[in-house]
Amino acid sequence: MSQGEEEQGLMTERGTGTSEANAVYAFAVCHTEGDPDVERLTGVTRDEPVRCLRIGSLTAIVQTVRGSDFTDEVWQKRLTDEAELERYARAHHSVVSAVASQFPTVPLPLATLYNGDERAALSLAGESARFRAALTRIAHHAEWGVKVYVPVARSAGDDPSDERPASAATRTRPATGAGRAYLERKRNLHSRREQRQADSLRVADAVDADVSRLATESRRLRPHGGGAGDDRRVQVLNATYLVAGHRAAELDLLVAELRRRTGAHIEVSGPWVPYSFVGEV
Amino acid sequence: MTHEAVPWDGPGGLSGPIGVPLVDLLDRVLATGVVVSGDLVIAIADVPLVRVSLHALLSSVNERVPAPWADSGPL
Repeated sequence: MSQGEEEQGLMTERGTGTSEANAVYAFAVCHTEGDPDVERLTGVTRDEPVRCLRIGSLTAIVQTVRGSDFTDEVWQKRLTDEAELERYARAHHSVVSAVASQFPTVPLPLATLYNGDERAALSLAGESARFRAALTRIAHHAEWGVKVYVPVARSAGDDPSDERPASAATRTRPATGAGRAYLERKRNLHSRREQRQADSLRVADAVDADVSRLATESRRLRPHGGGAGDDRRVQVLNATYLVAGHRAAELDLLVAELRRRTGAHIEVSGPWVPYSFVGEV
Repeated sequence: MTHEAVPWDGPGGLSGPIGVPLVDLLDRVLATGVVVSGDLVIAIADVPLVRVSLHALLSSVNERVPAPWADSGPL
């Protein structure tokens, strides 16, 4: 891509007339002799149908959208508006999933846009080798997410018994050495907390190692932060695995065994279209 | 099976397949790791951000900066 083209692209997106122009939203690229059935799909807008765009022997699934819905400013807002973001994420996923159920499919990231069919065809054709490699890698595989949670430690005092004075006497009339005892308790609390963290991470690593053994590929994703206020769990592992179709049942058995062995709360999601394994892993 | 299967087919609407937690979905649709050269793509930064860009490597962006929906580390 030359500097000139890049500038042109920027100008087109940022120019004043762009809000009226149409853009092409690309959902996925699939490998097919014929066209996937996309008739019943809504996509990200109700204005235009979801359609196929031939890219050599690959097919891109695209939709024409209003440029004004996909400006920098609009997407900035959208990313901070959970309802809007969810609407787009689910619409995108819906198309990707529908196509993947018909043909081997490489999903594209949310909001991959081009300034028209020609630009889309040109750009995507330029990456067809990469798409083919990804299609080979994920053939007969699905992605499975595995999340591990441990109970959250009680805040502040942790175990209340640690902070409770040994007897009423010590509370009213501190004995000699009370200060040292206090420090001792604090030290114990601290080391127990560290122990718990180490244990949690060990559980996470053990689960990851075991699941990785039956997976073709694995990736650790960023663990999710604290969710709903009453969720008394801490996520210690957010990983995702590319698992061969014939090993999916094994995964189920393994997770059941890991639950028993570690006592941790383990959540499995899938099968997913292998979103996490279509890049250069 | 103790997990919820994610439906891959069925009529797609704007609501999309149900039963997929949003946060898990965002982990995937925002950071597929595929190199794309869209004329406009979302870039993830500590402040949720969209960048106009002709070449974006979402996976590297994702590895270096916090995703908008995650806050602290695991513990």
